[in-house]
Amino acid sequence: MHSIEVENLTKKFGHFTAVDHITFQVRKGEIFGFLGANGAGKTTAMKMMCGLLQPTSGKATIAGYSLKSEAKLIKRNIGYMSQRFSLYNDLTVYENMQLFGTVYGIPRKELNTRIFNSLEELQMTEKAKTLVNAIPLGWKQRLAFATAMLHRPQIVFLDEPTSGVDPIVRREFWNLIYRTASQGVTIFVTTHYMDEAEYCNRISIMSEGELKLVGTPQELKDKMQVDSIADVFVKFVNR
Amino acid sequence: MRIILMLIKKEFLQVFRSPLLLSILIVAPMVQFLLFPFTADYEVKVLHIAFIDNDHSSVSRSIIQKFTSSQYFINHGNPASKAEAEYMMLRDEIDFIIEFPKDLEKNLMSQQKSSIAIMANAINSVKAGIGTSYIQNMLSEFLQRESEYKDLSENTLSQLFTTNIYWYNEKMNYKNLIVPGILVILVTLIGAYVTALNIVREKEIGTIEQINVTPIRKWQFLLGKMIPFWILGMSEFLMGIGLMYLVFDITVQGSLPILLGITSIYLLVMLGLGFFISSVAENQLQAMFIVFFLFILFVLLSGLFTPTEGMPHWAAYINYFNPMSFYMDVIKMMVLKGSTIHDLRIQVISLSCMAIILNSAALFFYKENSR
Repeated sequence: MHSIEVENLTKKFGHFTAVDHITFQVRKGEIFGFLGANGAGKTTAMKMMCGLLQPTSGKATIAGYSLKSEAKLIKRNIGYMSQRFSLYNDLTVYENMQLFGTVYGIPRKELNTRIFNSLEELQMTEKAKTLVNAIPLGWKQRLAFATAMLHRPQIVFLDEPTSGVDPIVRREFWNLIYRTASQGVTIFVTTHYMDEAEYCNRISIMSEGELKLVGTPQELKDKMQVDSIADVFVKFVNR
Repeated sequence: MRIILMLIKKEFLQVFRSPLLLSILIVAPMVQFLLFPFTADYEVKVLHIAFIDNDHSSVSRSIIQKFTSSQYFINHGNPASKAEAEYMMLRDEIDFIIEFPKDLEKNLMSQQKSSIAIMANAINSVKAGIGTSYIQNMLSEFLQRESEYKDLSENTLSQLFTTNIYWYNEKMNYKNLIVPGILVILVTLIGAYVTALNIVREKEIGTIEQINVTPIRKWQFLLGKMIPFWILGMSEFLMGIGLMYLVFDITVQGSLPILLGITSIYLLVMLGLGFFISSVAENQLQAMFIVFFLFILFVLLSGLFTPTEGMPHWAAYINYFNPMSFYMDVIKMMVLKGSTIHDLRIQVISLSCMAIILNSAALFFYKENSR
């Protein structure tokens, strides 16, 4: 069963085509890596799938709902973590989670339990009353992830979730992603780090708005006859 | 409902955690109230004056003496020539030149026509106007008294008499006009400026994207912004009314509940404008320019500094689209004159229409998904 089905999705800004007829599917519970150089159109594609951008043409079914006619239902069933850190810096950890949880309509009592549990899991319980701008970036990222997961979405979109954090935090973050995926949540992640791409079940490479390659890391390496995804990327981009 | 309450709570938490915004909200009105009315007033307290005396008679000397002894005039002497006097005015040392013609005394005695020239520095037209008429008054007063001694006929006197009476603001108390005007400025700034900047800021730091990806509805988001800023605006207004009473002893002559009612409509207009601007502007700088441009336009046309009656016809037409002009009427009429809602029906209807139109436009243009 596919949780994301995208067909000929296109986005044009004036004469510039940011995303050019991309087509792919993502299975439920899969970790799907979305690779590409800067400006390749990854973020634009992701924003369209989240309902933040109106596609110029094409179709998509996200979590079983049509992007065109059921955008509200899609929003209820996805989580999104943007490239920029976008929780409120002047609210505390707890207040941020309470705000977003409430907006998703989680009942008060249930929400408090979920916040407590996820802070416990992140070992951030004692930080609940700290303002977000006072905690380190690595923790902020995990907090943003936990907040995006509060309403138990079927799919979570992560836009370069680990940019700017150190390798240890990155590894911890990926552990979090694995744990989440093992619970049946589909993970759609864009990244610049080629080693992270190796952790994905399947990856795709975008260039100049087009989706050039889709497959498991091993398939892509075999196809391009190289040893690492980094080489796949370099070879591909230089082509 | 729970979502909107949560959004309101979030907004208040943020306001009270932002020392800058909070101080703007509290200190700005204080400063405006305590400083502005004393500086932005047109009261003429002292006039600098010089005389060109071509007559050198006892009449001209006693006129000069009369002005010199008045506390409202400072005599800068008798320049020898007109050119010298004009040069003094050019250097802004004097506001007025009074020139006595040759044979002033002789003509007066023989009941012939004679004219005294008053030259005013009209860069400050208010000062020039008020000063000129005041000088005229003093001159005719002087001549009247002179006539009693020198036995001038009634006929000559009536020609000399000039009187100016200022209706409605007889004492020329500009504070009464300026202070309520500051109330208007306060409410406008909170409504349009703070709201627009707040939303555009969320755009800039990206939090609005995180909100937009949730199933939240447009109207929920807008209400969640509107209600807190409406409450803040009304608190500012009440604070202003309090300061107005404490500092200037001005009380609202009309009904306070009705004034609050109309103010809340005006606030809705300004909030709608703020939303609309935030949906057009990409960043805080753009928002600031737009608000600044509109604000200056509104203020200048509103009749706070210059009466609307003196404006050309086309300006009056523009004023039909100027919410501040309507609200300025309301404030002046309710605070100073004690008008009733019946007197203000046109303003209330106009403001209500603007509130509906602007907020609908804001709701329509607010994009959950950007282009």
